[in-house]
Amino acid sequence: MNAIEIKGLCKNFGSKQAVCSLDMTVPMGAVYGFIGENGSGKSTTEKMICGLIPKSGGSIRICGRDHTDKDVRAKIGVLIEAPGCFGGLTVFDNMMLQAANLSIPDAEKEVVKTLKLVRMEGAAGNKYKNCSLGMKQRVGIAMALLGDPALLVLDEPLNGLDADGMRIMREIFLDIVKDGRRTILVSSHLLGELQKVATHYGIIRGGKMIREMTSEQLDADCRTYVALQSAEMSRTKALLGCKYARVEEDEAGYIRVYDLTTPEEVVAYLYEQGIPVTEIKKNKIGLEEYYIDLMKGGRS
Amino acid sequence: MEKSVSFESFGFWKRLNSMLKVDFKRMLRSRVFYILLASALVMPVLMTVMMAMMDGSESVNQQTGEVTVMEGPENAWQNIGTLPGGEDMGGMDVFGMCNVNMTFMGVCVFVCLFIAEDFRSGYAKNLFTVRAKKGDYVISKTLMGFLCGASMLILYFIGSALGGAIAGLSFDLHGLNAMNLLMCLLSKIFLMPVFVSIFTLISIAAKKRAWLSICGSLGGGMLLFMTVSMITPLSSTVANAGLCLAGGLLFASGLGALSTLILNKTSLV
Repeated sequence: MNAIEIKGLCKNFGSKQAVCSLDMTVPMGAVYGFIGENGSGKSTTEKMICGLIPKSGGSIRICGRDHTDKDVRAKIGVLIEAPGCFGGLTVFDNMMLQAANLSIPDAEKEVVKTLKLVRMEGAAGNKYKNCSLGMKQRVGIAMALLGDPALLVLDEPLNGLDADGMRIMREIFLDIVKDGRRTILVSSHLLGELQKVATHYGIIRGGKMIREMTSEQLDADCRTYVALQSAEMSRTKALLGCKYARVEEDEAGYIRVYDLTTPEEVVAYLYEQGIPVTEIKKNKIGLEEYYIDLMKGGRS
Repeated sequence: MEKSVSFESFGFWKRLNSMLKVDFKRMLRSRVFYILLASALVMPVLMTVMMAMMDGSESVNQQTGEVTVMEGPENAWQNIGTLPGGEDMGGMDVFGMCNVNMTFMGVCVFVCLFIAEDFRSGYAKNLFTVRAKKGDYVISKTLMGFLCGASMLILYFIGSALGGAIAGLSFDLHGLNAMNLLMCLLSKIFLMPVFVSIFTLISIAAKKRAWLSICGSLGGGMLLFMTVSMITPLSSTVANAGLCLAGGLLFASGLGALSTLILNKTSLV
C-alpha cells in the first residue's frame, strides 16, 4: 500500500492552471522530497492532499482511501506555512490544545513524548512567541506528530534554520521514519539538506511531475565528473572541449569533464599537449546540480 | 512485509466535544473575552451612576442662551429597555445609544477576532487537515459566540441592577414583574445565535482578515440591531422568548449550513 497515490490531479485558479494532470506515488515509510521552483505547484499539491483547498480534477488516495475520508484525514499531520500555535500560550499548552482537538487519551504523556522526539522538552514552558525560528519549526513538527499520524506533510520546514538547526531537523526526520510506520512528504529548496534524508524524490515543474525516483535511482543517474585545474585554464578548456562531450567551468574555478570515469586519461592527454595539471579530483553531481541540470532541459 | 495503517473512527459527538473543549479553553484564556465581560458589567454601572450624578445640572448654549437641564435616569432598568408608561424612559441620548444591545456588537468583535486568529495562526489549517467535517467547526464557533454573548448579557443585567443600587434609583417595573424581566433576558440570549451566526459566516468568508470581518459584521449586524429592542422589550413574555429561540435556531442552522458550504468550497489557507 502506498501512503499517497495521486492520479491526474488538477487545480485551476480562474484561468490559471496551477497543477496539471499530476501523478505521484509516495510509498509507505518513505521520506519523499518534493522539489520544484517557486510557483511550480508544490504547496498547492500539498494543500490539496491535506484537503485545505478543493481540487479541480483527478484523484488523491491516502493509505488506500480517498483523501476526503474523515478517518484517513485524522492520520495526517501537517506543517504548511504557520505551525498553528497561539503566541500567548506556552509550547506545552499549544500542544495540549492540539491533543484535545485530536481526542488523544493520556494527552500529557503523549505531548511530553512528542516534545522529546523533537528535542523541545526543555522549552515546553516557553511562550510560543518567544521561541526562535528553529524552535518554532520543531514545535510545528511536534504539532503535526501528535495523534500518531501515518503521513506528515511538511512544507519548507528547513527554511531559515542555521546549520545546527538543520542537523537537528535531519535527526528528527530519521527518528520519525525509523520504524517504517510513518511517511514524510517534505518540500524544500535546500536540496543538499534534503538529499541527506530523502529516500524518494518527485520533481515538479509548471504543475506537472517531470520525474519521480528513489535515492538509489538518483545516485545511479547522477553524472560523475573530473574536476581539474591547470596552469593554462583557457587552453585546457578549449582542448578538452574538442575531445569530450561536456566540459564546463564551475563557480570554484575548476574545469569539469563529465561522464569520465578515469582521471588518468585527462592527465595523460593534457600532458601530451604540454599542459601540466596542478589539481585533479573525481566527483559526482549532487541533487542540486541534478535538479538544475533537469530544469535546464538537459535530462528531460 | 506489507505495511498497514489502522483507522479509528470518531463519531459526531466525540468530534464536537473535543473541538468545544479546545475552543472553550481558548476562550477562557482570551484577553478579549475578559475585556468584553468586564465592559458588560462596568458599562451600565458607570453610565447609570454618572448620569444620575449629572441629574439636574444645567448647560447654557453660549449663542442662543438656551438652558438645557440634564435629565438623569429614574429607574435602574432604563438601560435595558423602555418601561411601560414611562415617558421616553430612554430619552437621554446616551442610553439610546449605549444600552444592553451594545453587547451584540461586543460579541461581533469576539467572534471575528476568534475566527481570524484561527486562520492567521495556522490553527485552522491543522484543524481542517485532521477534521474533514467543517460543520463541527461552525457549530463550535457559533456555540462559543453564543456563550460569550449570553455571559455578557447576564453581566449587563447585573451591572444595571448594581448601577441602579449605587445611584439609588427605583427598581419599580411599572406594572411588569420579574418574569417579564427574565423573559426579556432570555429573549435577548435566544436572539444571540441570529447575530453570532451572521458574524461567524462573515468571519469565515473573510478568514484571517479580522478588519474585514469586523467591518462586515458590524455593517451586516447594524441592519438587525434595531430589531433587538423591538423583539425583546422589558415587557417580554414567553411568546417573545419562544419567537427569539425559533429565530435563533433557524438562523444558526441556515447560516451555519452556508458557512459550512463556504468552508467546503473555498481555500482554507
